[in-house]
Amino acid sequence: MSGQAPLLRVDTGDPTPPYEQLRRQLAGLIGSGTLAPGDRLPPLRQLATDLGLAVGTVARAYRELESAGLVSSRRGGGTRVTTDAPALSDADRQRLLHQHASAFVQQAALLGASEQQILGAISQALAT
Amino acid sequence: MEGVLGLVAGMCLLAGVALARWLVQPGAPEGGPPAVPAAVARHTARWRWGGVITGLAVGGAAAGSGALGRGFLLAAPVFGLCVLTGVVAGELTVRPPGGRTRAAVLEVRRVRDYLPRRLTAAVLGAAAALACLAAVTTATAVPDDLGRAGRGVQLACGPGLVQTSGPWAGSFYTLPLAVLVAAGLVAAGGALRAVVGRARTGTDPATVAADDALRRRAAWTVTGACGILVAVPLAGLCVVSAGAVLSLFCRPAWVTVAGWALLALAGAAVALLSWCAAVLLAPGRVAAAALPAR
Repeated sequence: MSGQAPLLRVDTGDPTPPYEQLRRQLAGLIGSGTLAPGDRLPPLRQLATDLGLAVGTVARAYRELESAGLVSSRRGGGTRVTTDAPALSDADRQRLLHQHASAFVQQAALLGASEQQILGAISQALAT
Repeated sequence: MEGVLGLVAGMCLLAGVALARWLVQPGAPEGGPPAVPAAVARHTARWRWGGVITGLAVGGAAAGSGALGRGFLLAAPVFGLCVLTGVVAGELTVRPPGGRTRAAVLEVRRVRDYLPRRLTAAVLGAAAALACLAAVTTATAVPDDLGRAGRGVQLACGPGLVQTSGPWAGSFYTLPLAVLVAAGLVAAGGALRAVVGRARTGTDPATVAADDALRRRAAWTVTGACGILVAVPLAGLCVVSAGAVLSLFCRPAWVTVAGWALLALAGAAVALLSWCAAVLLAPGRVAAAALPAR
């Protein structure tokens, strides 16, 4: 991991279960190369305490990532990104970015937001 | 023996004066960035100082309770245990993040990132010295002239001539001491885990830096308490043992050298005690002075 450490966010009001929110974010960070092969994930208890979640919730997210071959856990060595974790190509990254942007714009349009308001919301989100 | 005790008392007095002068010097930089999460800082400081005050009271009571100086020897470990309990209680009772949306920095926090390196090395060295010295004095102890086990040391001065000297740091002193020091070191490990494992108080870089400063301050306190827990019994054992061996009239030259080496070690333990007391009383100030500006 290089530069400023990324953030993980969990919305407990979201219908998506917290473990799945975590799994998606971590899989995204591994796919984008932000988490490089060999990088260590936070210990279960630490991440669970920081997010105010149960340890089992974080453990389930890690188990799912392990099943997908993205991370491996070793007793005493923590959970690390595997060396053969598939990385996203630039084209895939661009495609996903457009996909997320389209979904956001669609949701914002359903709320009746103008183009200016949508751009303002994105600027605000980038600033936080 | 009186001369030796006077020497150690003088060293303690000098160390205390130096510490007091250092603590009242104005102008030392405060530790941590300006945006220290004030509520958490106040909460953990209250518990930490509660531990220190309780430790002084309980340690003082322990010092006056044991027979033949045993209470004095056990007072420092009791004090250290109380301080460590205060630190653990403070860290464990920090409220975890609430609200609908929660965030965490993707990071691995390790105990060694927050420990003061030189002080930790000194405390570990003192603990090893204490363990070795206690093992040797326990193994060589004999009953004293009243038959109390582990309170004397004996030297054969010639055929049929044996001299016994005491008090000596045998099992009478070292067994309860070993139990308390071991409990203290285990508690210190638990306290450090609690310090590192506590939830972050925020995720923006300034708050993370301030939060790290708080953790570093707590880790310094734990190390300081551990140092006191080890340094006082080490100094006590050294002085008592040196007094016993230097009062043996038929001692060979190497015993004299060992006696003076023990006194030198007592001096080092007193120096460590001063360092740890300074860290315990002003952890933020010591940490800020020791760390490079960021």
